[in-house]
Amino acid sequence: MKVLFYALALLAGVTLSVEGAIYAVLGESIGKLESSLYNFVVGTIILGVALLFWGKGSLSYTAKAPKWQLTGGLLGIIYLTILVIGIPLIGVGMAMSSVVVGQLVMSMIIEHKGWLGSPRIKVRPEKIIAAILMVTSLFLIY
Amino acid sequence: MSIFILIASLIGGVLLSAQSSVNGAFSSKAGTLESAFLTFITGGLMLFIVVLFFGTGNFLSFLEAPKWQLAAVWFGVGYLFLTILAVPKIGIIATNLSAIIGQLSMGMLIDHFGWFGGMQIPLDLKRLLALGLMLIALRLIYQANSKEREQRIKVS
Repeated sequence: MKVLFYALALLAGVTLSVEGAIYAVLGESIGKLESSLYNFVVGTIILGVALLFWGKGSLSYTAKAPKWQLTGGLLGIIYLTILVIGIPLIGVGMAMSSVVVGQLVMSMIIEHKGWLGSPRIKVRPEKIIAAILMVTSLFLIY
Repeated sequence: MSIFILIASLIGGVLLSAQSSVNGAFSSKAGTLESAFLTFITGGLMLFIVVLFFGTGNFLSFLEAPKWQLAAVWFGVGYLFLTILAVPKIGIIATNLSAIIGQLSMGMLIDHFGWFGGMQIPLDLKRLLALGLMLIALRLIYQANSKEREQRIKVS
């Protein structure tokens, strides 16, 4: 049974690459920034509907939350726009590889330093070896 | 030229990781869907202002774009729903690492076959080797994270 959920998680990753590849094509025709904007506008509509029916939390927390917790959208638009511009130039494989390396190494630093409300966990030697392997793999495909 | 794009994509990953911490903190109080909705609506509002003043394309022409290109939005939202389903069953670490394996493999496959009208980059020995190194790295990260969790359980 658990295998099914591993497969769903794998599929989740697949959707990220497909998303990037298609938005790169859309960006060539309607414009890069416009392609990102399309994603955020229509995504808002879809999630708004989902929220109406399945929302269990409290959106009103937005007013009380510390301001840094509200920056997810800003980070998201920069990320997607970089991909829309970059994928036509270096391909999906290399773009996704560098995204993943940036993401995993940054997560290690965030945890090690205890930034952004994360519990402070000292980085283990296995993770440093992993980071070296990942950077090596980027050099291989570059 | 492509080295700049590579570095920009690395920075994209750094921002994504920061975003997942930021949204994690927000969603623990407000809820997962609520957090995703806030991300999309604030992102959309900010980007709208940017496009209004600096956009060089034609936003409204998305109405004439082929539907399969517009379907990309379902993939982004699909990621969210799939992870919401998987996390309670296999945990956040396994979900993230499995997703990364799917993301990297699919990225290489899209390049290899030139799917979605992008450039074609064959899956050669170098790329396979790179994928292998990534898998070893992910395995190491998984082991390290499992050990960290055991330690925390012992402490508490």
